[in-house]
Amino acid sequence: MWVPRIVDWPRIAELNLEDVICGKTPMAVIRGFYGKQECRAAASKINAHARTSFQDGQLSHIGPFLMAYATNKKKYFKNAAAAQMALGKIFPDAHDPIPRMYDVVGRTLLGYQVSLARESQNSYSPAVIRIHGKGKAVPVHKDNVGYEGREYAISDIDCQLSCILHLQESEGGGRLITYGRRWKKADERFRNVDFGYSPDLVKCARSCRAPAVGAGDLVIINPGHYHEVTEITGCTPRITLGVFMGIYRRDRRVVAWA
Amino acid sequence: MADVIWGNGSEVLSADSFVLSVTHKKNGNRDDYSESETIVMTSADLPGMPHGRDEWTAESLKTCVIGAFLKCEVDKRDGAGAVLAKVSHSGAGGY
Repeated sequence: MWVPRIVDWPRIAELNLEDVICGKTPMAVIRGFYGKQECRAAASKINAHARTSFQDGQLSHIGPFLMAYATNKKKYFKNAAAAQMALGKIFPDAHDPIPRMYDVVGRTLLGYQVSLARESQNSYSPAVIRIHGKGKAVPVHKDNVGYEGREYAISDIDCQLSCILHLQESEGGGRLITYGRRWKKADERFRNVDFGYSPDLVKCARSCRAPAVGAGDLVIINPGHYHEVTEITGCTPRITLGVFMGIYRRDRRVVAWA
Repeated sequence: MADVIWGNGSEVLSADSFVLSVTHKKNGNRDDYSESETIVMTSADLPGMPHGRDEWTAESLKTCVIGAFLKCEVDKRDGAGAVLAKVSHSGAGGY
């Protein structure tokens, strides 16, 4: 059985993220990581905030996504600085979930120090907020900064985790599915033109559909495994806060970015 | 609108040319394209590729295009039938 590891926030010490990294566990779900009231307050501010969008305006975001700037570091770091300001307004210090994410990863990868990634004098973007509305889906894909992000210093990490905090759920759809197949370069033959890969790539792979996730739950996956998000069917947008964690084994440190 | 073809880089021929195994073609392309096309890059937007054209080498091109999924926005064909195109790493833009 390939099933998620689900823990309540107070029992976080029971979680072992090494199992997610190696693929023994498809995903970790931490219930009640962030308060419902905190989620509502953040969602309200996010809905009022100016958004950036790409992919022909289909998706909305606050903060840059590194892969969208694979060959434009200067612009990425400029937008990352602006994102830090925007995130600071949405999440006041005492309610900032990002240090809490660092704490989760630090406590579940024993002996690792977690910090925001930096390169020269620049800080990477701490997080990206994604606002996905009705009808939107994210096709089968992987996230691998070691491949597309090779112009960035963090491309030399040993492995990558993806932390997704759910701030607002839609009434239907928007479910994360992860597959037991890791990306390899030969899979580039199965690419879609715009984004992601042919579903044929994972049709024989084992899969795990995330359990119903509520606002305040944190989901952690190894994004080197193919994953997708099913079509959102409800009228309320799905809002998430995404942070990648890159692990340096030798230095026992973790760097975060979006 | 320029013709567009996509595919995977399969063999580097020089510092600015390679063979593309064509997997996708834009609907409405004016020209026909075979399963394998020689591409001569007029410009590149590829992770890891030196940004200055004078710094391109066959080695750097090999690192960036072999096996990679690429978008080629076609300028024209040259006298030898090669496709002159702007080449970019396709579809990495996030979600």
